[in-house]
Amino acid sequence: MRKRNLFALAFATLIVTATTSPAFGYVLLSPRRRWSSTPVTVRVYNVGNSTISDGDGGVTAVVSAIRAWGIISSSSTSSPAVRGSAPATIMLNSNGGGLCTGNCLAATLTGYYVSQAGDDRIYDADVYTNTSQPLYSSRESGCSGEYDIDSIMTHEVGHVIGIGHSNVSGATMYPSISACNTAPRTLASDDIAAKNDLY
Amino acid sequence: MHRRSLIVMGLLLVLAVPLSASQFVTLPFDQVARESAYVIRGNVEKTWSQWDDAHEIIFTYAMVRVTRYFGETTGPDMLVVREAGGTVGDYTQEAIGFPMLRRGEDVVLMLSRWDDSTDFRIHAFNQGKYLVRDRGGVQVLVEDPVKQGDARLSSPDHGMKDNAIEGPALTIDEFASMVTDARAGIDRPERARQ
Repeated sequence: MRKRNLFALAFATLIVTATTSPAFGYVLLSPRRRWSSTPVTVRVYNVGNSTISDGDGGVTAVVSAIRAWGIISSSSTSSPAVRGSAPATIMLNSNGGGLCTGNCLAATLTGYYVSQAGDDRIYDADVYTNTSQPLYSSRESGCSGEYDIDSIMTHEVGHVIGIGHSNVSGATMYPSISACNTAPRTLASDDIAAKNDLY
Repeated sequence: MHRRSLIVMGLLLVLAVPLSASQFVTLPFDQVARESAYVIRGNVEKTWSQWDDAHEIIFTYAMVRVTRYFGETTGPDMLVVREAGGTVGDYTQEAIGFPMLRRGEDVVLMLSRWDDSTDFRIHAFNQGKYLVRDRGGVQVLVEDPVKQGDARLSSPDHGMKDNAIEGPALTIDEFASMVTDARAGIDRPERARQ
């Protein structure tokens, strides 16, 4: 009887522990890499996306949305991305010379030097957008089958700072996104844990 | 038939939750097969990376010896496939979540051309690449679990050694039949439901 009680107690403890401990599912990019200092400067090219009808093609919305990470210094810029050269730049009006077409929504191209010490530093990261996909922003009202640019770019900036994907449904870095889903605009505890792991 | 439907649904589920990716919309298998210029099986004999002319992006080129063309297509014995990302010197550039080709791989690829050139690329990103594996004496096709950003590109095996490949798989005959049907425009009821 006592043995059975002990087993039940152990089982209950296991269940309680499993349900109350934070279940992190994030993955950092491999090899582990990060920017040398924070805040990380991210520019949004001021020529927006023509499918976004919020006045400036999503530029203002994205500048604001990516600050969710807390370590991003963002602003718009009149200079387009220069690949292989900082700062990180988001291009809403370019697919990167054919890089992000077809079923690609957005793509992050990141560059880093390999460190002998195993502490790799991100040197550049630029984000490109498929200009053929239907998109909308937080500065528009309503959604009818478009993808949310605020969510997409908050996710991509996660890659920019060195984070891979999470298996936690509801996290910004969860790998799939559906049309009209705006939840990834808000970081989950899993996303914050990933950021805090790196910075 | 039923087994094939289940396998395809399983593969679609896996592809919808990739290990790492930029963000992609998952396409129906038939669409990917139909849109591809070539659907091939081959061995990656050689890879090399170099900057583009503007020195802005590193591309990796893979020389693939073709051992089979699927569907009605046929073509040369050797194809060069170009994908974004690679290492030149001590600098690595990655297109996070994009597929990559590694020397020595036995692959099945759905290929299309880059918009601005006649070079080939993997069509629909990770949906257009399968690894050929032996399972109990049967050759099957599985999704490549390692994308760019998952492992050091410059490492000899690109992280493949540590990544067991499990999950749903298609036999090559099943795959060939699906490609033939898709390219012929045969829309089977079980696929239409997916």
